[in-house]
Amino acid sequence: MSHAYRAVGWNRQKRLYDLATGLGVVLFLGFFVGGGLWRYPDATVETLLIRGLGTAAILLLHVILSIGPLCRLDQRFLPLLYNRRHLGVTFFLLALAHGAFSIVQFHALGDTNPLVSVLTSNGRFDSVSGFPFQPLGLAALVIFFLMAATSHDFWLANLTAPVWKALHMMVYVAYGLVLLHVALGALQSETAPFYGWLLGLGAVWVFGLQIVAGWRESRLDRGRSEALDSEGFLEVCSVAEIPDARARIVCLAEERVAVFRYGDKISAVSNVCQHQNGPLGEGRVVDGCIVCPWHGFQYDPATGTSPPPFTEKIPTFRVRVSSGRVWVHPQANPAGTRVEPAIVAEATGEAGV
Amino acid sequence: MKATQSEFFVGYQHSAPPTLGRFLIRWVVGLLVVAIGLAVALVMAQRPFDPGVFEYGVVRDFEGILREHPVPALEVARPEGAESVSSYLLVAPGKHGAEEWVAGRNGERVRLRGTLIYRPGMAMIELLPDSLESRSDARRDNGAPQAISDVTLSGEIVDSKCYLGVMKPGRRKSHRACAVRCLSGGIPPILVVEIATGGQEQILLVDRAGGPLGPSILDYVAEPVRLSGRLSQQGEHWILATDPSDIERILPVAKEGS
Ligand code: HEM
Ligand code: FES
Repeated sequence: MSHAYRAVGWNRQKRLYDLATGLGVVLFLGFFVGGGLWRYPDATVETLLIRGLGTAAILLLHVILSIGPLCRLDQRFLPLLYNRRHLGVTFFLLALAHGAFSIVQFHALGDTNPLVSVLTSNGRFDSVSGFPFQPLGLAALVIFFLMAATSHDFWLANLTAPVWKALHMMVYVAYGLVLLHVALGALQSETAPFYGWLLGLGAVWVFGLQIVAGWRESRLDRGRSEALDSEGFLEVCSVAEIPDARARIVCLAEERVAVFRYGDKISAVSNVCQHQNGPLGEGRVVDGCIVCPWHGFQYDPATGTSPPPFTEKIPTFRVRVSSGRVWVHPQANPAGTRVEPAIVAEATGEAGV
Repeated sequence: MKATQSEFFVGYQHSAPPTLGRFLIRWVVGLLVVAIGLAVALVMAQRPFDPGVFEYGVVRDFEGILREHPVPALEVARPEGAESVSSYLLVAPGKHGAEEWVAGRNGERVRLRGTLIYRPGMAMIELLPDSLESRSDARRDNGAPQAISDVTLSGEIVDSKCYLGVMKPGRRKSHRACAVRCLSGGIPPILVVEIATGGQEQILLVDRAGGPLGPSILDYVAEPVRLSGRLSQQGEHWILATDPSDIERILPVAKEGS
């Protein structure tokens, strides 16, 4: 089995992205550590660094988790999604530095292996306010590590998309662990209510965005009729509802289908990109190929296959057009099956299969 | 649909279309401003840091009399008079106590090198173990602590080394695991008692026989506890002889101010 990885080179866009990320991290840490030393002459740099790295990491985690739903709500955020992997790796390095520094500071040079000490030094599992918060941070870090280590497309191809996706959904488990890590750790030592409010606000923002984005999509899914013809085709929308070279995303039999119109043709394919499950229906048809909005993988709308030398294949669906209405058969064809596009006839809108 | 949504951009393209670019730059700049604002707000809202100094990297010479009990210490004559001495607790580098270095050397005059750790009311030397050298074979009688009375006190058990200045914070929940590690490594435990008029009193904890309390107190570290025992004084140090069975947790009441 061979897989072709599209070399995505460095370009101006990517450099700007990384520059902004780096600038953000440096400014944040600079203001945190510098401001801390200025405000509290009694403070130690180690503590300020540990805290600065931890807070920079959790802030960046919120940014990362926001980009996905923001893109679903407004396509203009899409360029931020591309290259999100660099944000993820930056986040991981910050969290790793925070964790490693904490382990050295609080557990090294003692009578026990530092990693064992993280897990065993606080035994108050029977208490809420005393609960060991450092193992929670360590568990989150392990999950983040697995995600960072498998973020390359190589793993996506070899783990298969569903496994990879499940692994990457673990980010919400890890996020929950981080929330607990902070709530049961720093918040138990600090007195300012501001920290608690901020942490709660962050969680409401992250989960709220997901819910709003999901709700918007399910409303779009529901906004179509359920007419079914004798051969099992479902009426999904009118031809006029699909702008040229773009798609309408519909939900059929629990599966999201992108119905594309390009020129006088209509084709329906799975909405899920083979690369990283990007929403193909939010892409365009450029030079005869569907272009995924996330990283630009291309597919022939009629066959669901990537143009050579690439070999990605997505499922296709049978379509027909009648009286200006588009009908799609909810039964997916095996990935890469050729389906003749339905032709939109002028004025009358009559067409065959 | 917003006008700019008709611009299509895929990440591999060289640059974003202008309206889209402006939209994104506004968001990114806004985010950077928010990040700086948060950094400042978060750092300012921290609980103030305790006083206390660890002269990291500075090694000084000391000469004085070793004390083995109730906790390892060095008594150094003050310049002003023969009767007045400064007591420095002695610990080893890292999260280790100095017991093995002073064992059997109670009352011996020694010279040593080490790094100072101090906060108001208590000072400590992190011993450079190889530097410890004997100045005389004679042993002075260090005497026993002077018992004062039986008391019950409320406070927090911490490890003396971090609390005196090696770590900020050297107490409370976020420091708990480290305190456990230090106490387990032989650093003497201290009970920190908040004084109503401000500041803290620091009391060394030992077992009823005057020896180290050992691992049985690790469970009670860095949270509010009440414990009873016999209070005594030796030189500048307050000492409470107690027993793990005389320690009880106090349910955390409203968090005390800084
Ligand atoms: C091995 C893993 C980890 C360890 C040992 C660890 C340890 C600690 C410790 C000891 C503190 C309290 C510091 C203080 O209040 O002075 C802390 C706080 C914090 N940690 Fe972690 N942590 C780990 C992983 C993580 C991860 C993965 C995140 C993810 C973002 C994280 C985020 C934070 C945050 C936001 C705080 C509060 C700010 C602060 O006081 O530092 N930690 N952590
Ligand atoms: S998800 Fe990456 S190109 Fe489609």
